Amino acid sequence: MWLLLACLPGMCLASPAEFDARAVVSGLKREVPARTPYVEVRFSQMFSRPMVTRGELEYLGAGRLGKRVDEPYQETTTIADGEVTVQRGSRKPRRIELERVPELDGFLRGFSALLGGDVAALEEHFHIAGSADANHWRLEFAPRDARLARRIKAIAVDGQASAARCFSIIEADGDASIMLVEQQAAQPLPQPLTQARLERACRQGSASR
Amino acid sequence: MTARARRLGLLLAWLAALVLLAWYCITGIRISTDLRSFMPPAQTADQQLLMEQIGEGPGSRLLMLAIGGGEMDRLAQLSRELLRTLRADAHFSQVINGEFNADMLDSQWLPYRYLLTSSFDAQPLDEAVLADQLQQRVEDLGSPAATLLKPLLPRDPTLEVLALAEQWSPPKSPQVRDGVWFSPENEALLLVQTRAAGFDPAAQGEAIAALESAFASITTPNDQAKLTISGPGYFTVLVNASTRAESEWLGRISTIGFILLLLLAYRSVAVLGLAALPIASGALTGVAAIALMFGEMHGITLAFGFTLLGVAQEYPIRLLSHRRAGESALQSVRGLWSLLLTAIASACIAYLAFFASGVTGLMQLAVFTISGLLVAGFSTRYLLPRVLPEKFRDAAQTPGLGRVWEWLEALPRPRWLPPALLLLAALMLWLAPAPFWQNDLAALTPVPKDLLQREGRLRAALGAPDVRYLLIIEGKDAEGVLRESERVSPRIDELIARGVLDGAELPSRYLPSVETQRQRQARLPDPAELPAMLQAASAGLPFREDLFEPFLADVAKARTLEALTPAMYAKSPLGARLDAMLVKRGDHWLGLGSIIGMHDAQAFAELTRESNGAVRLLDIKGASESLVAAYRERILHAFGIAIVLLVLTVFIAFRDVHRAWHVLAPMTLATILVLAVLRFAGTPLSLFHLVALTLAAGLGLHYALFFERSTPDAAEARRTLHATLVCVISALLVFALLALSSIPVLRAIGLTVSLGVGFHFCLSILMARKGRARSA
Repeated sequence: MWLLLACLPGMCLASPAEFDARAVVSGLKREVPARTPYVEVRFSQMFSRPMVTRGELEYLGAGRLGKRVDEPYQETTTIADGEVTVQRGSRKPRRIELERVPELDGFLRGFSALLGGDVAALEEHFHIAGSADANHWRLEFAPRDARLARRIKAIAVDGQASAARCFSIIEADGDASIMLVEQQAAQPLPQPLTQARLERACRQGSASR
Repeated sequence: MTARARRLGLLLAWLAALVLLAWYCITGIRISTDLRSFMPPAQTADQQLLMEQIGEGPGSRLLMLAIGGGEMDRLAQLSRELLRTLRADAHFSQVINGEFNADMLDSQWLPYRYLLTSSFDAQPLDEAVLADQLQQRVEDLGSPAATLLKPLLPRDPTLEVLALAEQWSPPKSPQVRDGVWFSPENEALLLVQTRAAGFDPAAQGEAIAALESAFASITTPNDQAKLTISGPGYFTVLVNASTRAESEWLGRISTIGFILLLLLAYRSVAVLGLAALPIASGALTGVAAIALMFGEMHGITLAFGFTLLGVAQEYPIRLLSHRRAGESALQSVRGLWSLLLTAIASACIAYLAFFASGVTGLMQLAVFTISGLLVAGFSTRYLLPRVLPEKFRDAAQTPGLGRVWEWLEALPRPRWLPPALLLLAALMLWLAPAPFWQNDLAALTPVPKDLLQREGRLRAALGAPDVRYLLIIEGKDAEGVLRESERVSPRIDELIARGVLDGAELPSRYLPSVETQRQRQARLPDPAELPAMLQAASAGLPFREDLFEPFLADVAKARTLEALTPAMYAKSPLGARLDAMLVKRGDHWLGLGSIIGMHDAQAFAELTRESNGAVRLLDIKGASESLVAAYRERILHAFGIAIVLLVLTVFIAFRDVHRAWHVLAPMTLATILVLAVLRFAGTPLSLFHLVALTLAAGLGLHYALFFERSTPDAAEARRTLHATLVCVISALLVFALLALSSIPVLRAIGLTVSLGVGFHFCLSILMARKGRARSA
């Protein structure tokens, strides 16, 4: 299953003071292939309203990711062997070699390391910070690469115990993309849909609405 | 005043005159290295274009740079820093490294994108196109590339800036990593275009020095990164430097040998120094004469001139060897003067033919050689004897010389030998492998193989244009050229698809014709209708309503802009690029397109026919070879006249057909023999061989003249032999060393003169000497 975690003694959180972000990350490791439906909400200064897309995420092991958009348009993004392939509808697929865009490469490597629970690889690309309370933890990853940092402020993961709920990408200009996964993806979105409400939902989880 | 004081005074005055001359030469002359000023006037249209474009075509001014060694991050950073440093440097008209050109985002130029882009030629920018584009942008914003595109969107929702950047990048551009070009070998790549012509070594040298210092200024001592430069201009500089280094190195060795030889021959250090004065006077006078008449001297004139002036070293040697007891140096030189004068006069008169050739380079050569020979000769006659020390050793007393003399005297001189040699030479010439002439001057100064391989690798990686071919597009004005370029563009795309060539860069790729720009302008949506169209196109999309205001403003502006002309375009960041592709010539304009990876030059004939010759392929190598061939023809004519003049002079001087024949026959036969041997060995002849042959013939004339002279006694005959031997050995010392050089041009001169000296000497002994047959 997507976020099937072994509950290790170190990461079964006892109290906020003892929160160990690295332990949480290494606990995120899961069997491949792992798939989950997602709902992504994009908040942008360019948009008059949030943009919602739905589809499926796929993790196939180190450096291999897939993202399929089903709604409101069709698009499949595959990341494998250092190459991103974007296929939109019936158009010709576009390929980008990650080596050509190191900042994107660092971002995706970090993201992949996060899904793979690989602390060492993750720390290579990001500063790790985190906080927790009784039924929620939040990890924040700030890019080490200066060029990436100019674009991406942080990646944040919200979750509870052994399961992640939301992945957020907070861009440097304030735009944000919040992706709800696993059980959280199946929950109805808060109405009216604002960034603050959605962030609260990520903190409180489906059960606590 | 004592004789000694008088001598010293005269010597000082002579030296002072030389210093003044040298000062005048250094301040009064500019040495040019541009190959064009040594070339003859062009005959055909292609040659004329070549003369203007040689080294200035877009391909030959390109330098390819590779930064290798070290982390890729650092290399990319160095590439960006080098780009910024070089863009600020006046030596370079264009520097690109694959980086997205931020200059294009300059507000002033942005509205022009709708006049430059071909995106809406097939289908105008209407609601359907806009809706499709906007939908794609929504999708882009959800993709990993979102943050890269966001800054562009409000002003440029159709991403025309990116479309233009792609259009302007080389047709086959390298991999982009970290925003800059990289080779498969992980080197950061840059393309640099120099302002200087490709075959102007001095100007290219400056540009390359500027490049290297720019790279040094951005690297730290910890950097392992190395800058590699390649390209025609770099090779010109490199080959010149290595040719100079090798000739200087060989020159030093032969100078030492020469000094030792003169010391051995005359046993006096003072004599050694004094013997150098006539030729030094001649050389300086030659340069000064050119400074006076032309103001500028070509480097090749200087090199050829000094080679030809080598004959003048014979004059003081003759004087020194012919001194004898009971006779002052002045008396000795008087005895030799009639022969020396014959030699000098015949050589000078022969070089007059060069002066009449009408080619600046050859005229300079004639002025240099004639004035040099005259001054060297007359200073040997009137100055040198007056400064020579009174004490000397009679050369006739040189140990062993008598025995050599006896042996030479005893040699058989069969009458059938000369005709037999002539027959042999004719046979060798007949059998010699083709080609007779070497028209590719570059073959004489070849570029090392590993550098050529690297050049090929970088050229392929960068998709850099071919240096050999240039696509010429003719029009009655710049607009006409651009229209023709647009018309031919799809035809060239067909040729590319057929595999005739890999790619081409046409002027219209950078700037469409005014006609096309106006058509595009007219097809742009009406500013009054565009907001409604935009609203309809973005229905159902989340974009903020006022987001695309800058886009609306740009389209409105683009409709009212005056179409870009080359003059206006020249001020844009890409101006220099187009400038190199459009030239005005006389009453019409030419567009110069570069070709990338030519596979079948013949296939262009079709295109030329269709356009009635307005579009044609210029084979730079072919045109320059035909130029060299035309040049050589003129030189050969000059030589022909020179030979006639020389023969006439010798006949007039002797007023004796028999004696003149004895001097001219060995010289002629030896020259033919040298030619035969060179050709039989498979060497195609070049201009350098011709010059070397001339020098050898000049030396041969001296040998024959002196051997032919009737001598009053055996001692005088031995002095003649002594002088000739010193001359022969010194010439061999210099030129046999050159013959061992690894550089073909030095080898060509060295080998030809060495062979010539050998043949001329042997044949003079056998044929010019009054053998027993005649004295009996």
